This record gives sequence, structure tokens and C-alpha cells, in this order.
Amino acid sequence: MGSASDRLPRKDRSDIQRMIADIVDGAGKLEIWGTFAWDEIQNRYRRSVFGLAWIGLSFILFVAAISIFFGAFAELDSGAFVSYVAIGFAAYQFLIANVVDGCHVFARAAGWVKSSNLPYSVYVYKGVSRALFPFFIHLFIALLILPFFGWRPNGNALFAIPALLLFTLTAVPLQFLLGLLAARWRDVGHLVQAISRIFFFTSPVLWVYAETTGIRRDLADFNPMTHFIAILRDPLLGVSPSAYHWGLSLSWLVCISIVAVLVGGAMRRRLPFWV
Amino acid sequence: MAALSDVSLALKSGDRLGIVGNNGSGKTTLLRVIAGLIPPDRGSVRSEGRINNLINLNLGVQSQATGHQNITLKGLACGASRKQIEEKRDEIAAFSELEGFLDLPVETYSAGMRMRLSFAIATAFDPDILALDEWLGTGDQTFRKKTTKRMRSFVDSASILVLASHSPELIRQNCNKALWLEKGRIRMLSDPDAVLNAYADEDDPLR
Repeated sequence: MGSASDRLPRKDRSDIQRMIADIVDGAGKLEIWGTFAWDEIQNRYRRSVFGLAWIGLSFILFVAAISIFFGAFAELDSGAFVSYVAIGFAAYQFLIANVVDGCHVFARAAGWVKSSNLPYSVYVYKGVSRALFPFFIHLFIALLILPFFGWRPNGNALFAIPALLLFTLTAVPLQFLLGLLAARWRDVGHLVQAISRIFFFTSPVLWVYAETTGIRRDLADFNPMTHFIAILRDPLLGVSPSAYHWGLSLSWLVCISIVAVLVGGAMRRRLPFWV
Repeated sequence: MAALSDVSLALKSGDRLGIVGNNGSGKTTLLRVIAGLIPPDRGSVRSEGRINNLINLNLGVQSQATGHQNITLKGLACGASRKQIEEKRDEIAAFSELEGFLDLPVETYSAGMRMRLSFAIATAFDPDILALDEWLGTGDQTFRKKTTKRMRSFVDSASILVLASHSPELIRQNCNKALWLEKGRIRMLSDPDAVLNAYADEDDPLR
């Protein structure tokens, strides 16, 4: 069957089934969203002298500044704090990029949504791969420089691989959901923008989760980012994976996926009228 | 508010359907539904084969990306393979007369250059089913001659054509079926002469 008919409804399909078919069909169009994402990455850094190196440079600048300034507030020794910040910040950046960019995932592709019969998830996969690219550069740079700060990974580090998989799996329904909501209600974009600043300070990047108590600990636990950051960072710092953080992260993935499919089933067909 | 209701029709290979009707009668909406751009609230659309639409040419142009990148993206979105795109690339460059500019971002192009590029890409990859909103002609006088010829062969290569137009001649020339839409409903579905005559009679104030 031709690609063009993928988004055409069939009598025997419910809206929910069409939403799921959209996600599945879009994943198969790797060549399209891969090309889209790569073009966007290149265009973003075109005509700058350092080009793509800026992704790494801005990361190093941030980690260096935070380590010098906030390192004094933490009980961790300074070398360990650098590792803590570097990996935590990389994880946080990826998560928040998916939240913030997710709100624009369809709005920015408005011309395509209106004129092409590609599955809508193509634009979501494009957005997620565009966010993965700097994420992997950040992680790569972190792994490159951290040995100089006394970082010695152990076997637990392998648990970072399923964590990365979970990050990616969560990003897809998250962007689809936020993209639909923000296309329908423009306020969602503004709300998320406002909340993203709160997320930054309530996520364990600048401060150490293990050192928090009382209401600060409760707030941190309430923030889903805490658990996602933990499942990636803990094993890389040599700590064995925690069932608590993994359980909560997986629960968030399930919740977001269910809500995304339900909302997508109800709202997806109106998308071309909203963007 | 329903833009279309009770519209049922079937087209098979070789069919060329012309759609007539006053402004707001639902012609473009029907094209968009057929092309799979918007799903119907009730009922269904089934199709086999690659569908392409020339409803709004300028949508989906990535102005940050270069001309070459736009050729690739549009080609992939049309369902063409990498190999097919590479085969067409030189031909698109030659037809749009943009050789030498295709490595520049589209945002640096003049409006005319953009239009030539959009047109050349849109007509490069032959679909099985083509949804067309008015006949496309673009550019200065010499370019228009080229577009007319290219449009002709592009339209002829599709196995099913759906053309919405206000021009009776265009529909007589291109179509073997015609549909008259009125307020979103089928007023008449028959051969082009019968439909166009009935439509013209209705519009005639001297009748």
C-alpha cells in the first residue's frame, strides 16, 4: 500500500486505533523524519564559526560555572559534584527540551500538517531525534572529561542503557500529547514555559537529592524529572539502580502513554484546523 | 457546521473527475478529504496508491533549508525513494532554472524563484492519484509556456485525477466525469458536458 493512504481512516478502525496506527506508521518512516531532523540541526548552527561545536561548548560552560559556584553548597567532594552536575544537567536538558519543544512540534510543522498526508507522528519522531542529538553529544563530552575529576565508572554503568531507552520511549508520547494540547490551546505553551523554570530548580541538578529532607524531598519526589534523572545518573556514578526511581519512571511512561493515546484519539483528527 | 454531507462517489483507474460549484460549496474541502489531509467526521475514504495534492503549493517549504534540502524533503514526503529523488534532482534544477542557487537557503530566494522551485518539485514525482485545486501556471511569460507543458504531462501520468476548477474549458479538456457541489452536497454527478451545461444554466441570470 502506498504511503499516502496511511492516514486515511478506515471504517473498521476506532479513533484510538487510528492514533496507535499513526504512531506505528510514523516510526517506519525513519528516512523522512531522520532527514528532517538532520536538516534542522544543521540549519540551526549554519553560519556560526564553531557550528555544531556550540552544543558541546555551552554544555561545558554551564557545568563548569555551576560546579564552581554550587559545589560549595553540596556535601559531595568537588570532583564528584562535577560528575553529578554534568550527567544530571545532560539528562535534564533532554527532558525539558522534549517538554518545551513538544508544545511546538505540530505548530512548527503547520505547513506540512496541512499539506501532506504523512502520519502526524513523523513530526514527533523528528522532534525527539532532534533532541537526542545534543543529548548524546552532552553525554559523550561528560564521559570524556569526567575521568579528570576522579570519575571511575563500574559495572552498574550498563544500567544507563535501558535508562536511555526509557528516556526515548517517554519522549514520543510526551511530545505527541503536548503538541496536540498546545495546538488546541495556545495557553499550554505559555504555561509550560512558566513551569519549565520551576522544573529546573526542583530537579536534582544544582543540588544533591540524597542531601534533601522534609518538604524539599517531597517536592523533588513529586517532580517526575527527579526519577528520570536518577535512573540515568545513579548507575553512571557507580550506584546500583534503585527500584524506587525505576518504578516511578516506568509508571510515568505508562501514564503519559495512556493519556497521549486517549487524547490523541479524541483530538488528532482536528489537528489540521488548529495549527 | 458541516462543509460536506452525503458525498459518496467511487473513482477507478483512468477516471478524471472535475468538480464545479460556487465559492464555499466545498470543492477544496472535498479535495482535502480525498487527499487524506483531513479525515471525514462520518463515513470513510479508501484509496489505493500514492496520492499527491497540489492544493497549496507554498505550504511545507522549509525556508531555512537549502533548495537541495527542500527537494529531498518534499520528495521523501511524496513517497519517492532516495534513488528516485537523485534521478530527478538535475531535472528539477534545470526546469526551475535555479542551478547554482540550490545550495542557498530558500529564504534568500525571490518570490518568483520560490514559486518555480515549489512548482518543479511538486510536479516531479508522479503520483497515482492527483488532487488539483485549479490549474497551476506560474512565472513570467516564457516560464509559463514551460509550466503548461509540464503540467500537461504531469496530469496525464496520474491514473486518477480530481480537479476542482471554475473554468468549464479546463474541465471539458481534462475530465471524463464531473461533479457539481452545492452547499456541500452533490447536486449532480455525470459526464462533463451535462454537468457544465446544467451548472451554466443555473448561473445564467437571463434564464
